[in-house]
Amino acid sequence: MTRNGPVALIFHTLVVIFMLAPLAIVCLVAFTPENTLSLPTNGFSLRWFDAVFHHPDFVQSFWNSLWLAVLSATLAVVLAVPASLAITRWEFPGRGFLNALFLSPLIIPHLVLGVAMLRLFAIVGATGSFAWLVAAHIVIVTPYVMRLLIAAISGFDRSVEQAAFSLGASEATVFRRVTLPMILPGVTGGWLIAFINSFDELTMSIFITSPSTVTLPVRMYMYATESIDPMMAAVSALIIGITAVAVLLLDRVYGLDRILVGQH
Amino acid sequence: MSFLELKNITKRYGPLTAVGDVSLSVEKGEFVSLLGPSGCGKTTTLQMIAGFVEPSAGTIRLDGRDITRAKANSRGLGIVFQSYALFPHMTVFDNVSFGLEMQRVPKGERKPRVEEALSLVHLSPYAKRYPRELSGGQRQRVALARALVIRPPVLLLDEPLSNLDAKLREAMQFELREIQRKVGTTTVMVTHDQAEAFSISDRVVVMEAGRITQIDQPYRIYEHPETEFISRFVGKTNLLPGKVTTATGAGATVSLAGIAVPVEAAGLSVGETVTLCIRPEKLHLTVPTNGLLTGRVADRFFLGSQWLYHIDGPLGTLMVVTPNDGSTPAEQGATVGLEWSPSVVRVHRGAMAEAPDVALEVTG
Repeated sequence: MTRNGPVALIFHTLVVIFMLAPLAIVCLVAFTPENTLSLPTNGFSLRWFDAVFHHPDFVQSFWNSLWLAVLSATLAVVLAVPASLAITRWEFPGRGFLNALFLSPLIIPHLVLGVAMLRLFAIVGATGSFAWLVAAHIVIVTPYVMRLLIAAISGFDRSVEQAAFSLGASEATVFRRVTLPMILPGVTGGWLIAFINSFDELTMSIFITSPSTVTLPVRMYMYATESIDPMMAAVSALIIGITAVAVLLLDRVYGLDRILVGQH
Repeated sequence: MSFLELKNITKRYGPLTAVGDVSLSVEKGEFVSLLGPSGCGKTTTLQMIAGFVEPSAGTIRLDGRDITRAKANSRGLGIVFQSYALFPHMTVFDNVSFGLEMQRVPKGERKPRVEEALSLVHLSPYAKRYPRELSGGQRQRVALARALVIRPPVLLLDEPLSNLDAKLREAMQFELREIQRKVGTTTVMVTHDQAEAFSISDRVVVMEAGRITQIDQPYRIYEHPETEFISRFVGKTNLLPGKVTTATGAGATVSLAGIAVPVEAAGLSVGETVTLCIRPEKLHLTVPTNGLLTGRVADRFFLGSQWLYHIDGPLGTLMVVTPNDGSTPAEQGATVGLEWSPSVVRVHRGAMAEAPDVALEVTG
């Protein structure tokens, strides 16, 4: 690695401060004992966290979001593993189309998806359904899982499977004992990145959540349009905390470099 | 009836024939190598025996049973892949044990069999390691143990030594043969390395462009290559174009650029174009007045146990290999005579093919 010159060093420091400062300040504000959004100057307090945990709407939304993220990430993985295997390994008619279809939610604005889903839910009479909300989230998180899985499967030495096969293993056994364990970093990495994306998703969810299925980001948005108090900061700090844990796990099991820089 | 029998095996990919009409019989306990340059169809042939590629035509019989359409996991063959293809998430022990588990060998019986296989390849102390913690040569041995532990009727080796460095490769060659002798498993090996094929095989099958061109013992293939391609692909050789000037029963005289060379070959007719093929080690350096022709030492290379000379003469540049017997070698620029016995000259009918250098490069 080359050493940075003084100018580059100052520039990089400024960029990092610019990106991290708001997060740090929000987290600090969450500990304020005051009634307004302010940096804690006279002591730290957990009263706003307490307020979140005793706010039934927020608690409900937190569980909604958690379940939504866990379910959509899990189902997206279940869907993406066979899809990625098929797209990476076999030539079949419509392969390119399927690949593009699975990845397309990545480039369609969530706003557009939200409007489209809203119409769809109205037509099929699914307005307010949690299951359909999960389905909508699966659509937007699947591309992330697919990208990681396709990368994992492309670097896979097929002869390892052939070896297992030649030793008498059935197709199902080869998948369970050889293929799946070997692409496991891609699977868990994909699950975590899907979890993070679903847990944070706001734009599309605004359109398709109902009072009983409101997610945490949507709840925050609704709350913030009416009043601004330090409870917002406390919720933000909680979301940042949960996301950070997921990212740290992701780095551990898959490696952030491989996702962000594309190194293998 | 032979143990493993390929009959008119053909594999076509669209208009391309990867393997055409290959027939081969392998006896029980025999070690046979498929030798040829890349793209000659040897690996496809092996994969058809393994069951990974389905033949377009022909039949494969194993011990009298037709296995042409049998699935790979029902053939019970042992395969060692070029990349070793070990299971990276399993220990050495579990890698070797996998095949026994698939064959539903009882747990109590598995352990001694895995240990036996590991000791056969001298890897007993490494049972608890993971493949990534092993060297290339050790991984190669694990792959071999994993293939042999299921006691396969046939062992298939796909370029098993090509990923090892030169010294290790040579050591492994002999070890591979020793192990194969010990367990007596019928073995088919694919390789592009003729030294590898020659040193450890009972018979060598030379393939070219999807077809078998010669099946013979290594020594016979080297000394009596049936085609000019084989003589170029197998070992180093001097190819000399000439014309038959006299033909008498079992002998003939060939004119090479005006020099008359006696050969031992029947059925040649006067005026016919032929290509003579003389191995470099069959040529001997002598004093200029004694030889069949004279030349000048253009270059000499010291190979340790041998000297390789490039001799410029009336026939172009000839390669000569002499054993390093400790005597003083011919100096660069010296004029020398070349002599050889008529019995070492092989005659191929027809003109020489273009660009013989390419094939020499392939063999290294």
